[in-house]
Formats: sequence, structure tokens, C-alpha cells
Amino acid sequence: MDEISMAINGIRVSCPPGITILEAAEQNGIKIPKLCYHPDLKPFGACRLCLIEEEKNGRVMASCVTPVAAKMEVLTDSPRVIRHRKNIVRLMMAEHPESCVVCSKGNRCQLRGIAAEMGLGETGLYPIPNYKSIEQANPFIVRDLSKCILCGKCIRADHELVVAGAIDYNLRGFKSRPATLYDLPLEGSNCTFCGTCVSICPTGALSPKTTGYVGTPEKETLTSCGFCGVGCSILMGVADDRAVEINPSGLNGSVNGATLCVRGHFAHDFLNSKERLTQPMIRGESDLKTVSWDEALDRVASRLLAIKKDYGPQSIGFFGSSKCTNEENYLFQKMARVLFGTNNLDNGGSMAGRPALQIIDEKTDGRSRINPLANLEKAEVICVLGADPCQSAPVLSYYLKRAAKRGVPLIGIDPRKTDLFPFSTLWLAISPDKDYELINCLAAMVWKKFAHDSNFIERFTEEFNLYTEALSSFNPERLCLASGLDMKSLAYAADLVKGKKISFVVGHGITQQKHGARSMEAILNLSLMTGSLGCESGGLYVITKENNQVGAWDMGTVPDALPGRIPLGDGSGRGEWERAWDVKISPDQGLNVVRMLEEAEKGNLKALYIMGENPLRSLPQHERVEAALKHLDLLVVQDILDTETTRIADVVLPGAAFSEKGGSFTNMEGRIVCFTQVVPPPRDGKPDWEILDLLGLKMGYPKAYRSLERIRAEMVRLIPMYAGLQETPGDAWTWIRRTETEKTLRFSPLQTTDQGPMDDDYPLTAILGSQRFHLGGGTRTGISKRIKDFGLKGEVSLSSKDGARLHVKSGDTVHIQSREGALIREARIDEDLNEGQIFVPTAFHKNDAMNLVGLSVLGSESSQGLKTCQVRVEKLEGSK
Amino acid sequence: MKPKEIDWNQLSSIIENHKGEQWGLIPLLQEIQETIGYIPPESIEKISNAVNLFPAQVQGVITFYAGFSLTPKGKYVVRICRGTACHVKGSRSILRLTKKELGLEKGETSPDYQFTLETVACLGACFLAPAMMVNRTYYGKLSPPKVSSVLAQFKKQEGQ
Repeated sequence: MDEISMAINGIRVSCPPGITILEAAEQNGIKIPKLCYHPDLKPFGACRLCLIEEEKNGRVMASCVTPVAAKMEVLTDSPRVIRHRKNIVRLMMAEHPESCVVCSKGNRCQLRGIAAEMGLGETGLYPIPNYKSIEQANPFIVRDLSKCILCGKCIRADHELVVAGAIDYNLRGFKSRPATLYDLPLEGSNCTFCGTCVSICPTGALSPKTTGYVGTPEKETLTSCGFCGVGCSILMGVADDRAVEINPSGLNGSVNGATLCVRGHFAHDFLNSKERLTQPMIRGESDLKTVSWDEALDRVASRLLAIKKDYGPQSIGFFGSSKCTNEENYLFQKMARVLFGTNNLDNGGSMAGRPALQIIDEKTDGRSRINPLANLEKAEVICVLGADPCQSAPVLSYYLKRAAKRGVPLIGIDPRKTDLFPFSTLWLAISPDKDYELINCLAAMVWKKFAHDSNFIERFTEEFNLYTEALSSFNPERLCLASGLDMKSLAYAADLVKGKKISFVVGHGITQQKHGARSMEAILNLSLMTGSLGCESGGLYVITKENNQVGAWDMGTVPDALPGRIPLGDGSGRGEWERAWDVKISPDQGLNVVRMLEEAEKGNLKALYIMGENPLRSLPQHERVEAALKHLDLLVVQDILDTETTRIADVVLPGAAFSEKGGSFTNMEGRIVCFTQVVPPPRDGKPDWEILDLLGLKMGYPKAYRSLERIRAEMVRLIPMYAGLQETPGDAWTWIRRTETEKTLRFSPLQTTDQGPMDDDYPLTAILGSQRFHLGGGTRTGISKRIKDFGLKGEVSLSSKDGARLHVKSGDTVHIQSREGALIREARIDEDLNEGQIFVPTAFHKNDAMNLVGLSVLGSESSQGLKTCQVRVEKLEGSK
Repeated sequence: MKPKEIDWNQLSSIIENHKGEQWGLIPLLQEIQETIGYIPPESIEKISNAVNLFPAQVQGVITFYAGFSLTPKGKYVVRICRGTACHVKGSRSILRLTKKELGLEKGETSPDYQFTLETVACLGACFLAPAMMVNRTYYGKLSPPKVSSVLAQFKKQEGQ
């Protein structure tokens, strides 16, 4: 369309049609004051500060809601406009309490800023403060509605961005205020404490509840959130070299925009906790004693080299971290492979479902490494499988809820009705072991309707015939009989996806499940059949649990692949790395973390070097893991917190949290986010790459890197996937490089499924899952002050039928026993659960939920998975 | 005394009839207000599900309009006009007298749920000033005796 030509303050400007006058002015560098406008929200016109005057007819209008029109001539600062604007601000100030001195919004208050800019001090009006009591029962958000100017930003952010619907305007006129349903405190509403409203509030009406610091941070630095795989872009406010506040960066094109979740916003308190490690320690006779860096590193180097000499490279294991940076993981695996000649490498991500991710990577030959969440804006139909993103990756759930609100059909496939249920078009509450059959039945029904994408299949795939033939053995009627689903729902699901590109969102209910790899293949088959790959309106989004799960794999901190996801078995790829590093690399897979522990139990593994992981909390069977680790000759733990694992270590090295160093993380989208240091590490703590660098030097590596840039330069040179890092500034992002491939996509053969008989001793299925307040095992979130203060108990949920049968009411204490272990927890009756299933939240009580499942290699034949297990529940006597 | 029991089946069927689009919210609320006499707060979530809105949004609409109430009202809702014309013609005394006659303050409902006293900014019947309404009937050109006799009429009806 043609550009529109108009005049603003006498200056000729041309702008695209459809935008507002405010936007046109801003694009041309003309500033108009505003309080209710936000680029991510729909125009609202509440505050009236952005008034402008049309020169020709003298009309005064709000520029944020008035679209540009040809030949318009507007004035943004005519005397008349200024007079009106001043009066509006004076009226707001007359209703506003004069508490600026103690207000935590301080210098960032936009009302105060605008008043100052206009030179308004005294209003000259009779003050009519609209006092409301301050509400601050929860540990996250302080609501002081006397400071509310009714701009509606919090409400609109709640409805349009986060889609929680916790608040809206209540009452009318002078009494009008944002309120929850029944005007309850926030904790009584469906508020998720994401804090998006706090960051967006222009005044002090909503502010974060801070314990240590009140006021404006000295500076704000851009960095990346340290929790889940979404990897949100955040601004960290700093005072006295401490992180005191987190806000979403709001950067254009960032994954989260103006939103965050409760973890990102409030759970970073662990950075300043007293549990931080600040000095290197060595185990003396019995206790750990503080030593100098030199002494600690000497000890690690001499012991590791001695063990290598005595027992060979296979006797040492390296457990890296899906929470450490790409640069650190690169150095870590290089140390293991170059200095010790071992592939005994792994990271926490292997237990968070890497095998399933690996399947996709192999089958698509690396074609589905980049999945920008922004593409969900263009989704045609969304299928959420075994995922509870509202809890595990909240910012991703906002994308899904926004899509559903726009009318995109959303199919939920999960045994539990999660918080996405109210947004879903259809919910298939399938039991956890039936998802493979369900996906194949769905595919069979799509095939029956001839609703496949034959163009795509012909161009890119092979063995479609074999696939459709195999599909005929999947009978939807039989599935319905076996699973309690009804044919009508299943047919509806097939109708919803037919002829459309499907966006699959896959969670740990698939990737950590016993047959996760098989289900992943089925999902991939269905996306090939519907041509849902390689386009923006379809896609395969796999939720990663931790922020650098993808990066740790890309960097080769895994037993079976070199950096750049080069399989060890790939001779030419391995050869390149051998030449680059000038060493021989064994083509044999190393031990993964579970095998390392098993070898430690047998006494074959003598030393383990752990960087940034707490296996004593995150892995199943804590006692077994502890015994295995205690059996080692040497346990080195490099971490930021005093954890269950550091307490039994022989050497403890204090690292630096993400905010205390530079580096990069790779999120679930395939976006590589670089960040720089925000604050220095506490006391003697050092960035982890620096520790590894120093250690390498002591162990005979000829040359130290001494800077992050040098490590990054080597990565850029040797890992084509990460070549984009080269021109990326320290606080920007780039994407994983697409690999060119000609390989056709092959449909995976289907398998017959047969479930083993149910064990009558353990009649219930326990589903393990996360809650949004915690991440993973809860090592970090568990010590974050505000999360602790919220006082969650982590109740186990039972269906009402099971509750009645077992005489368990909400508030009773129950004993849960599986074949592997047991735990005691308070129970809660949940109407949305299916009979025969219970839900056990992870991360609570030292993550004892993991004791219910067995320690096993995810994806292996013997593994029962980490997501579900068979249990028996008994009510404990003495409970109410 | 308790207000009339709510017929939940009736309420559910009203909601069911209006199920669907968001624009249906106000007609739906009007019908509930009309039939039940108020909008039971417990029904907000059901209503919001039916019209695909957040419960807080539905509450916002209810509390915005004076025509909707979240609390039960009396059988007879007495509305005294406090508009300019009525004020000039002495509606302040009319209000004072009504308060005394009914033993209620502005916005209150009698314990036996017979009367609710409200004031409105203007009834749009300025030519009848001072005016009031009882339910849907206008009473104009009021004088203290006339107010007493109108109210007595409703009290008497109750007495029978």
C-alpha cells in the first residue's frame, strides 16, 4: 500500500497506513508523553496524555488510538495541547499519594518523570488521595492501589500477553481499580506471579517485594535468565554489586518480550543466598577446609593425573552442566577428550530427555534445530503432547494461550488436565503409556481421509508406502476400548488436524517417558505426513528443561558426540576434530552419567569431575547415588552453591553464576544468546571457564585461553553450527546455523506395542512433574528466599475416586511406595485427575519424588523412564 | 429472613441459552438480573465459561453497570432521583423522608428483603420532579404525604 504523507509539527513525514499518529511521531523522532501505551499491547487510550491537536480543525485527540490519515497536520506540543496535558497530570497527582520519598519505584516512576519534564511540582489542586490498603501477603508482589492511575497496563498485559485473566477493572468511577475475582488477594486468584504486570506498571502501584533493597538499582544490565529452556532475555538491576531486581528486557524479537514467569522474575534470589560457595575447599581428615586456589587446583590436577596413570582414561568421568555456558562446556569436554583421552562425558540434559531430541536430529538430519517460538503466531493447529508448559516453561505457554485466544485450535494430549485445558479445543486425557498408539491412530485416520500432504511426501520423504501399510494395524476403536477415550473425540482430533500444518509442542511427558523415543518417531512420522516440517505454520517444539540443555549437547559434553553434534562413529567428522586438537579420539562411546555411577559402584570409575550439577538431588535414588559417589577415590565438584553433592566432595571449587560471567546459552528454539558479566562472583569465586582454563594449564595443556573471546573464536572456527557467534556482540543473540542437507526424510518403521501386565501390588500410576515455582531438582529455586517464603508444600494429588477408595481427604498425609523407593507427603484431592493416577510434584523436599523412579539410562531397553511409575498409596494414621 | 432461594437449574439454563459469543454477555446478565433479582457471585465462573471470557472480566462488567447487582435486592427497589431538577424541587427531603419511613440508608436492603433504597443521578423524568421509582413504576411531583402514601401502599400489600 502507498505511504501516507502528513505533517507533524510542521515537518513532512511519510508513514505506512494503519499505524497510529503516536507511532508515526516516534518513528520520526518526535516524542509524545504517554503512560498507558505499550508497543506490545493493543492501543487503549486511557491516560489521555498523548493528546495532539489537528491544526486544521482544532480537534484534540489521543494520538495512541488515532490512525494516521493523508494530509493530516497535527501539533504535538501546541499551547492548547500542553495546557490539557498539564491538567491531566495535575489531576493524576492530586489523587496520588505524596509518598515518592519511600516509593520503591523511585526514579523509574513514569508519572513522576512526566511531571518533572513538564515542570509540575505543586498541583495547586486540593489533594483527594484515594487511599486503599496496601496488600502484600504474598512474597512476590506489593499492590498499593492508591498509586494506581488506571492506565490498564497490568490488566492488558494479563489478558493479552500472559493470558492468565487474574485481574480486570472492578467497580466504576472513583472506586474503580484493577481487582481479582471477588476482590481476593492475588494468592486467592489464578495469578501465576509472573510479575509481568509489576514490570509494566508505570507507577509504584505494583512493585516487586524486595527484602534486601528498596529503591532504584544503580544500573541495569542485559542478560539471560538462568532457568528453563526458553532462555528469556532479562534486565538485571544491580546495587552494591548484587543483583537486586529482574525485569523482562522487552527487546524487540526477544523470545519473551515484556513477559517473564515467577521463576525468572523472583527466583533469582539464590544468587545472593548465604549458601553460595565463596572459597575453594579440600577435604582434610574428615571436614572440608578452605584453601587457596593454587592449592585446590594443584590437588585436582595431581590426583586426576595420578588416577589416569594408575587406572587409565576409562577410570575418570566428567559430568558437565546444562546450566553452564557453551564456552564452558566446550572447554570441559575438550579437557576430558584432549587431556584424559576419555569420552566419559555427560550433562544433566541426558536425564531431561536428550534421547528423544536426538531422534529428531538424526531423522531430520539436523533440519529441525531451529524452531523460533514466534512461528507459533502463525500456527494452523497446535498439538500439545505430554507437556505442561504453564508450569515447566511458562513463557512458551503464553504463546500457546495467545494462539488459542486468537482461535487457533489447540489439542491437548496429556493424562492430566493442565492449566492449558481451559484454552483447548479438545483434550484427550490418554494414559501415559498410550500416546504412541494414539499418535499412530490419529495418523491412520488422517490417511483414511486422504488429508496428507502428498506434495511434501513426494518431494522430501521416502517409505511412505511402508508407513501407511503399517498404520493399518492401528485400530482407533481398539485404542478407545483400551484407553477409555471415545471415538467421537478421536474423530474430532483427526478433523482438526486434517489438511493443516501441525505445530507439535512436546514435553517431558514424552521425552522422559519409557517409550519416549518411539513416541517421538511417531510424532515425526505424523509431521512428515502432514508436511508440518520446514514451514512457519507447523513445527516441532520440544521443551528443554534447562537453559543450556541444547548448548551442552552442541558443545559435545555428551558421551556419544563431538562438538557440533558430530557422532563419534562419524570417521571423517571425528578426524577433523582429531586434527584440530592434535589428539586421537576414541570412536567408542563413553559412559553416560548412569553408567558412570554404575562403574563407580563396581569400583571401576575412580574419579568424577562434576561441573554445575547436583546429582544427589536431581537424579533418581539419592541413596544409591550417594553411595556410588562415596565409593570414588576422587570427587571434584565445581559449583556455585553448597549442595548435597559438594558436601561429600573431596575438592570443591567455587564457580560463578551466569550473571557473574560472560558466555552464551542455546535455548530450545536454537537461539544462541550471548551475555556479559553483570556482577562479580562472590569473594573468591571464578567463572567456570577460568577455572577450567587454569586447571588445563596445570595439567599440561600448553596454552591458556585467558579470555572468553579466545574460546569463542575457537568454537566459531571449528563448529560450523556456531559460526554465527563471530559477529554477535556480547549481549545479543544469533541462531544456530542451518546445515545444508540433501538427505531425504524417511518414515520410521512402526512397532507393535504390548504393555506388561499391571502389578497388583502397585495399582496406581504416579506422574512426576514440575511446578512453576521450581526448576528441575530445585537446588537453586529451593533456596530462593521468596519462593521459600511462599510456603508451598508440594502436595501429592489424587483423583476424587481414588481418594474416596483410600479414605484420603485433602490435608491427610500419605505414604507412597514404588518398587524403587517411598516418600511421605500431604495429599490433595484434584477433580481433574483420572482415576488410577496420582501426581507427585518434583523439586520439593530435596526432590524426594525422584526416589520413586529407578536410576536408569533414559531410552535404554531396561529403563522405565523418569516420568511415571507404579505406586501404592496408603493413608498414614494420625493424620486428620 | 433469607432472600428467595436461587433456582440453580433455572440459572444454568439461562446461561446455557446464551452460551457462545462474548457479545452475549450483557443480554445474559440482564436476563439473570431480571429473573433471579441479582447475579449470584457464585455464578460468575459459570457465566465466564459460557461466553469465553475470564471471570474477572465478567465481574468487571457486572460492577460497572448500576443495573447489575451482586447482592440480593428487596422485592421493591425504591429509587429516589437526585438529579438537578429534582434536587431543586426538594428531593433531598424526599430522600430523608423515605430513609425514615423505610428505616434504611442509601444502598441498603431491609432484613426481610422487602425494600431496597437507592438513589440515581437522573431518572429522565425531570418534568415530574421530584420523582422516584418503585421497581418499574414512576411516581412524580412528590410531596411528603404522597411519598408516605405510596410507600404505605407497598407495605400494605405486604401486610395482606
